[in-house]
Parts: sequence; structure tokens; C-alpha cells
Amino acid sequence: MKKKLWMIFGPLVVAAIVLLGLLFSPFKINRINKTTERQAATSLSPNVLKGEAIKKAALSHKEYVPFFGSSEFSRFDVTHPSVLATKYDRNYQPFLMGAPGTQSLTHYFQMQSINKELTNRKAIVVISPQWFVKKGTDPKAFSFYFSTLQAANFLLTQKGTYTEQVAAKRLLSMPSGHANDQVASALQRVADGKKITKFDRFYLKNLYHMARQEDRLFSSIRLSNNDEKVEKQAKDLPAKDDSKAIEKEAIRQGKEDTTNNDFGIKNDFYKRRLSKKINKFKNFEKDFNYTESPEFADFQMVLNQFAEDHTNVMFIIPPVNEKWAKYTGLSQSMLDGFSMKIKYQLQSQGFNNIVDLSQDGAKPYFMQDTIHLGWTGWLDVDKHIQPFIKDKQPKPNYKMDNKFYSHKWQFLNPDDLSSYK
Amino acid sequence: MDTKETVLSILQDLTGTDVSDAMDDNLFDSGLLDSMGTVQLLLQLQGQLGIDVPVSEFERTEWDTPNKIIAKAESMK
Amino acid sequence: MVSLTPYENPSYFLMLFVALLPIVIGLLAGRKFHWYETLVSFFFLLMTFGGPKWHQGLALIGYLVFEMILVTLYDRYRKQKNDTWVFVLAVLLAIAPLVVVKMTPLLAHGGNAIIGFLGISYLTFKAVQTVMELRDGTLKDYNPWFFLQFMAFFPSISSGPIDRYRRFRNDYEKVPDRDKYLGMLQKGVHYIFLGFVYKFMLSYFFGTFLLPRFEKTAMATPGLSWALVGVTYIYSMYLFFDFAGYSLFAVGTSYFMGIETPMNFKKPFLAHNIKEFWNRWHITLSFWFRDFIYMRLVFFFMKKKVFKSPKTTANVTYILNMGLMGFWHGLTWYYILYGFIHGFALVANDWWIAVKKKHPGRIPHNKFTEAFAIFMTFNFVCFTFLIFSGFLDKLLFAR
Repeated sequence: MKKKLWMIFGPLVVAAIVLLGLLFSPFKINRINKTTERQAATSLSPNVLKGEAIKKAALSHKEYVPFFGSSEFSRFDVTHPSVLATKYDRNYQPFLMGAPGTQSLTHYFQMQSINKELTNRKAIVVISPQWFVKKGTDPKAFSFYFSTLQAANFLLTQKGTYTEQVAAKRLLSMPSGHANDQVASALQRVADGKKITKFDRFYLKNLYHMARQEDRLFSSIRLSNNDEKVEKQAKDLPAKDDSKAIEKEAIRQGKEDTTNNDFGIKNDFYKRRLSKKINKFKNFEKDFNYTESPEFADFQMVLNQFAEDHTNVMFIIPPVNEKWAKYTGLSQSMLDGFSMKIKYQLQSQGFNNIVDLSQDGAKPYFMQDTIHLGWTGWLDVDKHIQPFIKDKQPKPNYKMDNKFYSHKWQFLNPDDLSSYK
Repeated sequence: MDTKETVLSILQDLTGTDVSDAMDDNLFDSGLLDSMGTVQLLLQLQGQLGIDVPVSEFERTEWDTPNKIIAKAESMK
Repeated sequence: MVSLTPYENPSYFLMLFVALLPIVIGLLAGRKFHWYETLVSFFFLLMTFGGPKWHQGLALIGYLVFEMILVTLYDRYRKQKNDTWVFVLAVLLAIAPLVVVKMTPLLAHGGNAIIGFLGISYLTFKAVQTVMELRDGTLKDYNPWFFLQFMAFFPSISSGPIDRYRRFRNDYEKVPDRDKYLGMLQKGVHYIFLGFVYKFMLSYFFGTFLLPRFEKTAMATPGLSWALVGVTYIYSMYLFFDFAGYSLFAVGTSYFMGIETPMNFKKPFLAHNIKEFWNRWHITLSFWFRDFIYMRLVFFFMKKKVFKSPKTTANVTYILNMGLMGFWHGLTWYYILYGFIHGFALVANDWWIAVKKKHPGRIPHNKFTEAFAIFMTFNFVCFTFLIFSGFLDKLLFAR
């Protein structure tokens, strides 16, 4: 009988021991090396956002500057910040955190694992007006970048702030918040303003440990590699870091790449995504509104985190391709309203490094496609980023206000800003 | 007519085949009997032999060959 | 308070393993400790229906007590008398809670009934079946306490497989001999690990990874699209691997407890026709419908001579049977349509078999026609699953 039992359960027992050994061993089995960090800085892979090992390792070096954003990062133009920093001997390298579908809520939770690294540091945030839709972040997109590790980390590092309470509530409104029943019940306690139980803590610690080990083991294996794209673009840049010469090259490439349409949109994007349905887009966006959205509250969570970490942040508000906006009927006054509202939220709390490009949507080769910065657009951004990072900046003085979590603020019409208190 | 003959003639009626040369063949696997045929079989057994088989008593594996059906019918008589 | 969805995460399996260990050792030593099994069952029910889901737990307890009293009263009555109306009343009362739960979202605009809990539809099958067997007189030694054990058997409580009272009792009381039990353990481990592959790899790949992408594209292109074709097949794969994976867990766990809960799936996509498909897909459900709805209806119709020909009887009953199954899934147009389509498919299937019988040798039969039949059946089934998925409802009526 013993032999038979061993035949049945032996492989199971061995597999379990190996697995537990891997997951619970106190050693860092897989060290994150320089090459991985370098690759991760431009990979835009979800596992970078979901995990913490790679982010922490890379940001432990001062030269990496965290860039928070979304889909614009995946447009590796010749003037893309990562390309410029690679080509020229800049004293910084962007660590890109953002991909199609990442919005404020994703950033709030993914920041939790790098609070230490963000403390007293500079960071860049590219705000997309397109995040601020009426329904807020898409639960499916959110879940794509959300991980058990983030949840466990968030719950284990509670300080009892109002922001945490709001965040827990928000997470519970997403299916991701209910993926694990134990986590859900702990989140509920936080949302109710209570401390998590001893058992919660015990459970979450083990969960965190396991998820962290998994992240260490596997995250670096599944990184996408954009190094080649970056290198290829870097080759086209002039040898000297001279903005006039770079602009010339940017315009040359912009001209060359936007020949099949009148919108100044990159050829292959136009051909692939727009040309077939071009008639459908006529006036399609005339009712789009980015001024009333739960995203404003999610964004406030991110701001609060920056304030807590004393991070000095520069915010970039990109424009929309004006020719395209005219064609689709997207309202410029609505976009202006958005800029006004978001700037109010930023400035009234002491976030004063704002690069508002919302009026530049008609500049030649500024946009690569409909909403994403392109050749001269990125260069313009660079002119602001470079001195901000290079030069010593005065310490920011943030005065956070929880009124920006209110429903009233989320759905406030920008016309009523002057009377908002 | 004894039970065996009666059962065989019922089966012949139902399946359209003479099953007397394949007494241990599975009638369900060969597609000769299905749920419908089963109910007809039960009704015929009731009508011709006076055996009352409730539907819940019907466990397929106990009724799947001509021999088994005959044995069942005889046991319930 | 802890709360876990059955078979969802590693901690559940770990707890399962620890809890089952004494049962395994006992069975290897040739003994069963029913009190311990009851304790384990209670513990896992508490895990599933406790904590934040306590209201479901209360609903479950209320439901079990209600059904137990009902069936016990019917058993008492049946020992004295056997009126049809009392039987009908007992069945109606037994399904009443389920009907309320299924009707509530329709009447309360998507709200859920407070008497609902995960698995109520599966438990209803077990209760109704017990009443029917009492009526037939095939179940003579009904025992209320055992009835509760049967109903609340935790491995299969939330989504089946649907066992039968008498079959379950035989396994429950018997201690399998050592060789047989070792074989069951081997199978149990195999089933659970196959379940891991199904549920956590394949179902995840199809359902969580692929499906949302295709659904998104399909939603963006109204009407027919290649993405919709993709949704059809991907959803079908997801449905199979998810449900079959779950069933494997339930069956594997029961095997550890010395109970041979019947299998729910047998390579359904290799069926040659729709009838065979229903002998391979969600087997315990389709057999339940066959034994307790279809056969009984046919029996009734034939005895009362409602229809002239047996063929008409069969056809009408197919449609009633499958239609009812559609209703059981839920009161939405797509579940109901799904049921009726399968009802008509069974009619067409019988018709074709009759045609083939009538013209023996005229219709070719070889490996290619068989492959073709499997291919046709598979595609038909996937199409009906698309309806079942409710995705068309979103595609056609959302906005």
C-alpha cells in the first residue's frame, strides 16, 4: 500500500515542496540586473506596473526619472523623451510607467510599491484629457494592470488617511476588488474607516510574500523589448544635442510620414485605424465631454500620494490634433474647460509645474496621430522637462484639500469654477 | 407465451429488428433503444405482462441488453 | 470572518487537503467517520457562505430546513396515501423557492432575491428527485437527517454534478475496500490536477485572456464580424473548460471521501449528433431531465394517449423538456431560446435517424461522414452557446 500511495501522492508532495520553497524562500532568487532595468524603462509591460521588484530596482538609481502616463509613451518618435535621453548624454533616463488604458487609479495603486523611491524626487505626469470620461476608468483595463501584490501592499501599509478610505471604496467598486474574498473583506474594513483584523494582516502578509516572490521570479521574463525601436530612432538624431538641429530632423520625419491624409496623422496609423471608417468619424465626437468624470477624484488620489511622498511633479497637458478635432466635431471650448478645471485642481493645492499644451494642437507635426504627441510635440515637452530635471527646484509646498474627492467636484461644470469653494 | 417471448416480441416491435440472436448486445449503444423506446417498453411490459415498473426504478445499466430485460421482467412478475 | 469561493484559490485547496486527510487515513484503514465528514461539510459550507456572504448562508439554512420538512411530510403522507394532487403540490412547493429566485431579477429590475444563494438550482434538482422517487415508491427508507447530508454534500453544492439519493446513499454507507479506494484516490488526484489545467490554464486563457479582447472588437463592429465568430468559439471553449474544470474538482474531492459522484462531461465536442452531445455535456443535468421530465412526460402522454403517434409524443416532449431546461437556466430570452433550439435540434436529429433507417445503404457512412457529423455538431453547439452567453443581448440591445 505504501508504494501505491507514494505513486499517487509522491509527485504531488515533491512538486508542493519545490513550489513552496520557491515562493517562500527568504532569498532574492532572481536579481534584477542593469540590462533588465534598462529594458524595463521602455518596455511598457503590464508586469512592470503590476509588480514592484523591477520598478524598485530601477528607481533605486537616481538617473531614472519616473514618467507616469498612458498610451502616448508607446509612440517612440525620434523626439520621444526616452530616445532623446538615450542619444544624448543627459543625466537622466525616463522610466516609463504607462500603457494604453492606464489611468489615475492604476497609477495610484501601482505607486504604492515605490513610495520610498518617490520620496523627495522629481517625476513627470502626462495627463490625458481622454481619461476623464463620464464613466471613469474602464474596469477591464484597470484589472489588466492590477495585481494581488498591489492589493496586499496597499492593505498592509495603511496609515488611516481619508485618501486610503476613498481608494478602498473605489477599488471595491471594481471587479478587481472582489477577486479575492479575504482581500475584499479587508478592503471593506478600510473603506469603513476601520483597521484590518489580525487575521487579515497574517493572511495578507503571506499573500504579499508569495506575490512578491512570484513577481521577482517571473516579471523580468515577460518584459517586452522596445530597445531596438529606441536605438533605431536615436540613430536618426543629429550628433549634437542642439534643439534647432533636432527640430529640423523632427520636421523632416513628420513631413515624410504624413502624406496619405490631410490631418497630419502618421501614415500607418491613418491607414490602419482610420481610413476605412473615415466617414463614420465625421462629427462623431461632438458630444464628447472630458469635464465631468469620476477620474477627477481618482486623480486627486494620485496627487495626494505625491504630496505624501513630497514628490516634485511636472504635469503635461497634451492637446488634441486640431484638424482631427474639427473633423470629428470635438469641442475646443470643452477641452479648454478641461484644462481650466484640472489646472484649478493642481494649482489650488500647490502643484505649479504645469506645461499646458492644450492650445498647440494646430502646430505642424506637433501630434503624431489624433491625440498623441508627435515629432515637434515631444520636442516641445523636452524643452520643459530637461531644465526641470537638470536644475535644482524649490521645494514644493502642497496644501491638499479633500473637497476634490467630492461628487460635486467630479461633475462640476468648469463654467462654475469661479464660484466653487 | 412466456415472458421471454413476450419481451422479445415487444423489442422487435419497438426496434424493428429481431434481437433474439444478439441477446447480450447493448441496445442503447447500438442505438436501437432510446429514452422514448424505453418508455414504450415499460408501457408494453405493463400492458402485456402486467408488470408495473416506475420510471425511477429504471436504471439504464440494468436494462441495456435483451437478456437483462428478460431477467428484470421475470424478477418483477 | 474568512470567506472563500469553492475551488477558486490555492488556500481553498490547501484547506481541502488538510480537512480530507483524516478521511483518507480512515478509509485506508477501512473506516468511515460520518460525524467528522459532517463537521468538514459544515466547515466548508461556513467558508463558502459565511463572512460577508452570511445572508446567503442564512438563505441556505432556511432553504434546507424548508425542503427537509417538505420532503419529510410528503414521505409521511406517502406511507398512508398516494393522491396525485398532493404529489403535484409537493413538487410545486419544492421548486417554489427556485422560482422566486429566478423571477426576482425580472420583477425587481435586476435585483436579487434575499432567499437566493449559490447553488439553489442544483439543490432543487436533488429535492424534486427525492419527492418523485417517494411517489414512485422506489425510495422506501427515507431519512430526514440523511436527506440533509445528501443535499448539503459540500463538494458539489454550488454547481453539481447532480447526484441521486439512492446512489449517494449506497456510497455513503459503504466503505470501499482498500484496492478500490486506492484506485479512487488515484483518480481523484488525476481529476483534480486535470481540473487545474482546465480551470486555471485553459479556462483562464480563453475566458480571461482572449474573450474580452474579441468581445471588445465585436462590440465595436455592429452586426456580423470575424470577431463575433471568434467570440463564439472562444466562449464555447471557455464555458467547457470552466465548467468541466469545476466538475472535475467536485468529482475528485468526492472520490477522496469515498463517494463516486458521477462525471459531468465526456468529451462533448466529439459527439456525432445533438442527442449524443447531451449524453456527453453536463451529463448529470441532461440525465436528470431525461429521467425526471422527459421519460415521465412521455409516459404520461402515451398512457393518456394524448398524441396519436409515438413520434409526435417524442417530439413534443423534446421541445417541452429542453424548453424547461432553458427556463431553468434563467428567465432571459437567450437562455430560453437556447433551450428551445436544442429541443428542435433533437426533433430534427430523430427525423434524420428515421430517414437513414428508412433508406438503408443509400446514405454513405464512412470516416469522412463521421468527421463531418462531428464538425457539424460542434459548430451547431458553439452557435447555441453564443446565444447562451448573452453576448448577443449586449451586442444587439445595449446602447
